[in-house]
Order: sequence, then C-alpha cells, then structure tokens
Amino acid sequence: MSFFGFDATGRKPRERKQQGEEDSLDFEETYQGLGDYEPEEDDLLNDETFGTGADLGTDFDFGYGKGELGAGSGSGRAPAPAPVSYASIANAKMNRQADCKPGFEQSLDMQPMESLWGNSSGNQQQQVQPQAPTQFQAPPQVQQQGAPNVEGLAIQSLDRQQQMAMPPQPGFYGMQPPQNPGYGFIPQGFPQGQYQQFPGQNIPPVIPNQFGNAGFPNQPVNPQEQFQQVPPIMYNQTQGNIAHHMQHPQMAMPPMQNQPPVQPQQPHQQQLPPQYLPQQHQQDQQHQQQHQQQQVFQQPHSVDTAARTQAVRSTQDYEHSNSPTPVPTESEQVPTPPHTPREYRRGPRRFGTQDPLTDEELRRLQIRQSKVDKILRHSGVMTPRDKDFITRYQLSQIVTDDPYNEDFYFQVYKIIQRGVTPSESNKDSIAKAYLEHSGHRLGGRYKRTDVALQRMQSQVEKAVTVAKERPQKSKGGLDNAKEGVLGKISATRNSKAPRKQLQIPTHKEDSPALSSQSSSALDEVSESLQGVDINAKRRRSSYALSSSVDHRTVLSRSGGRKFILSLIETVYEEVLELEAQLRSGQQPDSSKLWEALHVEDHGFDVSPFISILSFDKGIKIMPRIMNFLSREEKIKLFNCFFKELSHLNVIVISSYKTTPLPTKDQLKKMELFQSVFLKIIVSFLSSSAEFLEVMSLLINVIQNNNVSFITTSRIGLNLITVLISRAALMKQDVSRGKLLSSVEVSTWSEVYDRLFTSLETKLTAIFPTPEYMQHAISVYEQDSTQYDQSYIWQFLASLALSGKLNHQRILIDEVRDEIFEVISKAEELNAPSQQDPKLAYQRNKFYQDLNLFLNVMGLVARDGEITELK
Amino acid sequence: MSDTPLDLLKLNLDERVYVKLRDARELVGTLQAFDSHCNIVLSDSKETIYELVEGDLKTTERFSEMIFVRGGLVALVTTPEDE
Repeated sequence: MSFFGFDATGRKPRERKQQGEEDSLDFEETYQGLGDYEPEEDDLLNDETFGTGADLGTDFDFGYGKGELGAGSGSGRAPAPAPVSYASIANAKMNRQADCKPGFEQSLDMQPMESLWGNSSGNQQQQVQPQAPTQFQAPPQVQQQGAPNVEGLAIQSLDRQQQMAMPPQPGFYGMQPPQNPGYGFIPQGFPQGQYQQFPGQNIPPVIPNQFGNAGFPNQPVNPQEQFQQVPPIMYNQTQGNIAHHMQHPQMAMPPMQNQPPVQPQQPHQQQLPPQYLPQQHQQDQQHQQQHQQQQVFQQPHSVDTAARTQAVRSTQDYEHSNSPTPVPTESEQVPTPPHTPREYRRGPRRFGTQDPLTDEELRRLQIRQSKVDKILRHSGVMTPRDKDFITRYQLSQIVTDDPYNEDFYFQVYKIIQRGVTPSESNKDSIAKAYLEHSGHRLGGRYKRTDVALQRMQSQVEKAVTVAKERPQKSKGGLDNAKEGVLGKISATRNSKAPRKQLQIPTHKEDSPALSSQSSSALDEVSESLQGVDINAKRRRSSYALSSSVDHRTVLSRSGGRKFILSLIETVYEEVLELEAQLRSGQQPDSSKLWEALHVEDHGFDVSPFISILSFDKGIKIMPRIMNFLSREEKIKLFNCFFKELSHLNVIVISSYKTTPLPTKDQLKKMELFQSVFLKIIVSFLSSSAEFLEVMSLLINVIQNNNVSFITTSRIGLNLITVLISRAALMKQDVSRGKLLSSVEVSTWSEVYDRLFTSLETKLTAIFPTPEYMQHAISVYEQDSTQYDQSYIWQFLASLALSGKLNHQRILIDEVRDEIFEVISKAEELNAPSQQDPKLAYQRNKFYQDLNLFLNVMGLVARDGEITELK
Repeated sequence: MSDTPLDLLKLNLDERVYVKLRDARELVGTLQAFDSHCNIVLSDSKETIYELVEGDLKTTERFSEMIFVRGGLVALVTTPEDE
C-alpha cells in the first residue's frame, strides 16, 4: 500500500518503527522518496476507501491493529502493523488532556464502552442514554432549540460556559500544537483517546451517508452532517491517522473500525456518529472553536461535583453550538462540571506539557508498548481454571500426605534452616515456596499477596487430595499420558518413588577352597616349625611365612575382610549409641555391642574379635568399648585375645621373623597397639584382675600359641611381660591382705614352668636380628641410633623375677652373649666421645636396660664389668 | 549390612585405599572421609601421575599428608596392592 509508509510530516519513520518490526524497514527504504513508487494492484479500492481526492503521497496511517483487525477487515488493505498497548493508550489519555481542547476529548472519554452494550436501565446508563438523545436533540440545539429532557439542561449550562469561555480565545492559541493540520504530529495523542471511547465512530465519516440514512433517518439536516460531507477527504485522512492509532486498543470491537464499508450498519456506529463526526471537522477546520472548547473545559475543572454524562452532553452540545450557527440558548442551571474528580485532577497537570511527545517520551512509550505487547501476546489463552488445573497438577507431584516419612530430609533441613517448628503447616510453606519460585505475580495490581497466598494454599490442599487419590496404578498411565502436555514429569518421579539405589549382588567373599588351602598350608608351617603347644586342645597355626599372607588368611578364616570391617562399623555404631544413652542418663545396654564383638563366637577358625584388632580403627575403638563391658565380659575378651594371640596381626608384623623388614606403617601400627590396647590390658590387670584370672590368661597364651614365636615379636613379648610381671607382683604383694592360697602358688609355678619350658633353648630368639634392628631404626627415623631393646630386658627381668635360681641360671647362660654384647656396645660409645651427651645417654640406657635384668639376680653392670649388686 | 556401594566404601574408612582417577592418576592413601558424590579425603596419600612424554611413560609421584579428591575425578576405589 502506498500510503502505509508515507510520511507527510517527516515524523513518520519513527512511528513506523513503532508500528511493526517487519514492515518498518521496508517502508523506510521504499517510500523514502515520496511518489517514487509504482502503482500497485491493490490500490483499486483506494478511492472507495479514502475518497478520490486523496493526493498521492497523502499520509494515511492505519498503523495499529494489523493483527486481528486487519484480518477481520478482509479488505486486503491491512493497515500497518502497530499494536497499541494499554500503555500507549494511557499515554494517549494524558496527551489528550494536554491538548488544546482537552475538554472535548475528556468528554468523549466519559462515554466508554457502555454505549456498546446497549441501553439499559440504571444510573450507569445515564452515560449511554444521553447520547442517543443528544444525537437527535443536538440538531435542534444547533438550531437554537432547547433540549427537551432533563439532561438537556446540563447541556445548556455547558453551552453557556462555552460561550463565557469564548473571550480568552487568543490566549490559548499557542496551546494547540496538536491541532495543526497534520495529525501525524500527535500520533497517539488525543485522537486515540477519542476512538478508544467511541470505537464505532471512527469510520462513519468515511461513509457520510451512513448515519444519515440508516442510523438516523429522522435526523434533520444539521451542520454536522454538512461538515461531514464537505471535507470528506481531509477528514478521512485524519481519521485514518487516528484510526491507525486506535485500532489495537479497541480489540473488543475491531471489525467496526476498519470495515466501515463492509459493516456500515453496525449499531455502535449508528449510535454516536453524529456527535463525533462534527468534532473531527471542527478539529481540522475550526481552530478557533477549538479554543473555545478548551476554554469550556477548563472551567468545568474548576467546578467540582459533576456527572460525566453531563460533560459528555456538554461537549456534544458544544460541538453543535460551535457549528455554523451560534448557540443562543442558555439555561440558568447551576454549572455542571463535566469531569470526574480523577480527570479533573489530571486535567490541569496535563496542560503543563504542551508538546506531548518528545523524543524521549516517544521512546519510553515504545518500550512500554513493546513490554505490554509481550504480556498481551498470550494473555487470555488460558482461563483461570486452566491455570488452576496446571498448578494443581504440578503441585500434586511435589506434595505428599505424609511429609515426615517421604520427605524426611527436607523436613529436617527446613527445621535447621529456619528454625520452623515441625508443627507449622507443611502445605502453607509449600504454597509459599511455590508462589515465590514460580514467579506468580503476587496479587496482581492490588498487591494482594495474601489473596494470592490463600489461593495457592487452597491449590496445595487440592493437590494433596489429588495426590492422595491418585491411584498407584497411574504410574504408567495417567502421568505418562500427561507428560509433555504439562511439562516433563521427572523419571525420578516424586517423593514416593525416589531413584532406586544401586543393587549390588551379595556374594561370598572368599572361596572355601582358598580358605582351606591356606589353613592347611598354615598347619604345615606350624608343624614344620615344631610349635610348642602344650596340651593343645585346638591346634592353632603358629605363624605364617609372610605377614601379608597371614593377615589375609587370618581374615578369611574369621569371616572375611568385609565381614570384619562391617563388624567394626557395627561396633562403632553401637558404641556411639551407648555413649548417647550414657549422655542422656539412660542405662546403657551393651548386649548388642558384645554380640558384635563376636568374642564368644566359635563359628570361625579365628575369632572375629582378633581380626577386628587387626585394623587400626578396631584398635582405636577399644578404649571406648571397655567403658561398656562388664568385668566378666572383659575377662572373656582378654582370654579370647590371649588365646589367639598368634593370629593377631600386630604380633605377626612385629615379629622380626615374619616381618623382617617392617614398613613405617607397620611400625606405626605396633606403636598404636602398644599405646592403646596394651594400655588397656595393663590397666585392667593392675586394677581389677584377680590372680587366678591372670593365671588363666597366661595359661591361654601358653596352651594355644607358639610362645617362642610370640616372643619373637615385640608386642608379644610385651604382652607376656605384662602378664608375668603382674602375676609376680600379685604374688609378692603383701598389702593385698590375703595371701595366695597354696593352690594358687602351685598353679603359678606350674604355669611358669610350662612357660619357661616353652622358651628354654630359644631365649636368644627373642633378640631381633641386627638387620631387623637396623632396619627398624632407619624406617622409624628415631632420634636414637640404637634399637630400643628395653622391652627384651624387661621380659627377661620379669621372667627371672618369678623364676627360681635354676631358672635364672639357665636364663643367664642363654643370654650371656647378648649381655656381653650390650656391655661392649656401651663401652664402644664410651670410648670415642665421652662428652657427647647423646652418646652418653645411649650408653647409660644400655646399662639401664641391662641392669633391669641383672638387678633381679643381684647383679649390676657398670663400666664394662658385671658386679654383684650391693 | 553393606547394601550400597558407598557402604562398601564406608567399610574402608581409616584403611588404605587405592583410588584411580581420571587423567591417568592414582592415589593411595588412608581413607578419612567421603560423601555421596564420592568426594574423598585421603591422608598420607601418594599420588602417581602417568604421562606420555614423547612416547615414553613418565610417572610423577606426589605425597600429601591430607588431600581432598573431588568425586567427579574418581574412577574407582579399591584396596591397594601391597605397598
């Protein structure tokens, strides 16, 4: 269409941009030079539509409303696409008031859609009803005939006001920029507002005969009509311009606007045209009268309390009166202000801004408009019920009737997070969270957040019911059916069916073949090493060739590594539980713990308890276990421990025979064991153990273990030392008040004999090899340059202490070489650097250790000589 | 008793574990902590990085007293071969 992009005022390009993205560019380029375009086929109807008088290049601006309106028109003459938003309308109102004839438009503004809905009774209808009368009565007024009905009075009063306003016309002349011939000047200004209110009236001017014939057959020929007919072309142009802005906002009644020829008989159109058309003419052609209008309506502002209808009427009247024939009639009624208070307030302010659309304003307008357009694009697609349904369905996926069972962690988290008491309604919080999260507009323009929240809460309520009622079988059915329609429904589903855990098949950890194989191998080893088992009831393997093999086989014979590890976990859990009970003042029940320790479990070749001690964490938990075990349980536990001592991992790794080159980790493990479990044993023995109990422990060691092997390990030697020395101390302890019975004494000597026999001829084996000692020093990075042998001498000392003279003699005979070796070492240190405190200390330590043993027998080693202790 | 993979991992708390990582890295250390993302804390760990430098395998070892391993890097966790 040639007229689309045409810019008569020079301001059109900007407007066009505003009108439609896709078209604006084209129009820019094509129609930049006026009149350079070629005729188009579709121009055939132009004459019919716009009149023949339209010059080529005349600026018809049919902007807004390309979409629905254009489609509805069917004329193929789609106006430029320029959706008008509510924002622009609002602005238009403001602008309109800024116009030089604000009253005029405002009065029109007073007649909103009611006119479209037909006349009905009631106060509301006053606005509508007067229109019809005015239409028919206006002509008489114009011809100096008073209005017959009551409303006519108001009109007349207004007329009078208009007349009174006449004098100051010149002063207002400067305030009428919008009234300039080119309506493009105020693209969205007052015309828009007018049409908004009188949608049906936009077009009638195009078909001047319309109202004259069909709509108002009875209407006498009045000036208005004359106006319509006289300047039709001009008028059309303006109208086009106006309509352009107007169409979009009036979506409610689009067809009428764009299709005057097609639907000339629209009732809306017929209702009001007479008043309206003249207005346009006046605007275009009678500037002076417009000044008057302005005047007129400024005055009403000052007079408060008014009915809008009156304002309307007055305007209409005014128009009539402004028509060629002056209005002589004046009624004496009290002035009736045409404005509602709101508009009244608006009015004066608007006057301040004469040129309504500065560049900045225009830009802002455009931005607002595009925003509103976006909002409006899909508005109304869904009904509130639809939205409720969606919301409810979504909620039903996340709510649950039983939050504490199915949503436990969230509940806990919530309590932690907000300190919310669990009693607070779960549903309320869900509703709140959902509202916040989903970006629902809280309360809309009234900011009624509480209302929105209530709504959402009720939705949650319903959702819960839905969730409750949702049949289980729906897993595959309903949900799947709705998937995609209502968004993705997660495969993890909902709180009721969280993601499945990985299932790992449980299988036997160790094949029985391996187990039996290793055990038989161990038996072989123990046999070949000629274990010194005394009265062995259960033949135990002595030790294995290497610690790692032994460790694994021991584990496998006690249920497997995993079993032991899980036992340890159970023990930890039990201990924690018991400690919690202790803290809360309850009486701890350690039966489960005792069970988990498997001390009395003979279903395994090796007691699981021993294997528990094979792990560092098993050792570490022991002190805490002891707090919950009864004395009897402790004794059982220690009996078990000593009975299977040779299976103890730490014995194996601390033996220089099985672990000739211990690693740092292994040495650390030994240290850990010493500092933790050995301590426990010592404290138990020294505090609460009876003599016989100590005996039984010792017997267990001797009967069930290869004592000579155990003594090759540092830990084993420590343990035996503890037992012997404790027994010896008890035996000698007179302060206990009760002497040992003869049975006890004889038992003790028998046990000692057995022990000594098992060690006899192998006592030198308790001394590690020099390589081992050297390795241990280097690995352990101790300050000392010498391997600490004190534990060996302590053992020998305690052995000698309980032994008779012949025992001591045997001892000295066996370890004589070692004694002299220590003395020589000490003297070596003495020779080169006497002054070095470190070496001096080392030398002293040699003698101290040695003297531990020698002193028992009344001897003392000093300065390279052994003398009798005085 | 031990139903899930992470329960198995739990059994190895305070034990030496071998952790294979992405980008040809290995870690051996004492398992101190882990979480559901398989984030792992190891103590006394030895990290071995394997690289191909001009066709030759180059290994770099690093020791850490305590190290945090992000779960995303963990390929597998098992008990170590004898150190």
